[in-house]
Amino acid sequence: MGNMSMPYAESIAVPEDHDFRSRGRVPGNNGIWVGIFCVLVEFLLLFIVYFVAKAHHPEAFESGPDKLVTLAGVTITMLLLTSGYCMVKAVESIRRDASVTAFRWIALAFLLGCGYPLVKYFEIRWNIAHGIDGETGIFYTVYYYLTLNHLVHVFWGLLGLGWVALRTSRGSYSSRDYSGLEAAAVYWHTTDVIWLVIFPFFYVLR
Amino acid sequence: MGHAERVWLLLIGLTLAGAWFAETGHAGWPLTLLVAGLIAVKGRMVIDHYMEMTRANAHIRHVLYAFATLVPLLVIFTHGWGDLLRRLTTLN
Repeated sequence: MGNMSMPYAESIAVPEDHDFRSRGRVPGNNGIWVGIFCVLVEFLLLFIVYFVAKAHHPEAFESGPDKLVTLAGVTITMLLLTSGYCMVKAVESIRRDASVTAFRWIALAFLLGCGYPLVKYFEIRWNIAHGIDGETGIFYTVYYYLTLNHLVHVFWGLLGLGWVALRTSRGSYSSRDYSGLEAAAVYWHTTDVIWLVIFPFFYVLR
Repeated sequence: MGHAERVWLLLIGLTLAGAWFAETGHAGWPLTLLVAGLIAVKGRMVIDHYMEMTRANAHIRHVLYAFATLVPLLVIFTHGWGDLLRRLTTLN
């Protein structure tokens, strides 16, 4: 772990034309950051709904996680983190002009990401079989509201990954121009960051 | 093993630690502080190492850092000052 303090970006060469040193580098493109900021604001508001509901119904939020399948939450977390790692490797590969390798990493990221809706499907099926739906109680209402909302954003991310996989397979990106690929990667990482909040809210915290 | 691999391994390890606490933890300050810490640390790891924010535009970096700091603070506030939050959000 000796290298842990070294930022990932410093471990590989970033092309000069993408390094806007005066203002700081903008990963991807400006447009994706407008979208990401909107997503962050949206989820911050949803998290406030969670906090307010928890303050009003502490007993429901203390016992609520006991009925959920922790394994489902852990599996989704691992899938997203590993998929995110694959996108880090994809960006690293395209910076070396290794577009075939980049495509393979993106394809793997996409496949792992598709595991999320699959796990969520089985989780919800299990929940409903055990009488846990959106009207079971306030904890589960907020749980469905937040997790399904996150799932929608993951679908946008998967569409983005599919698109950049297609573009990469056609040789559209290179070490000189990979902003589209990187934009999809940072959006995908944003869904990671948000899930890292949602997971403990509903499966760990009491 | 490269830097990205070490970061990924650490994130997975912290996730498994969180899962263990999910199965064994009880409501209280230790679990609240642990969850707040895990959100802050794991969030910053993804932001710094996956999103490469340490070298990114300062405005973008500050927004992401604020998000990863504010949410854990709200976790602590809701646990410690839940009564105040309830009063502030009661309409009648």
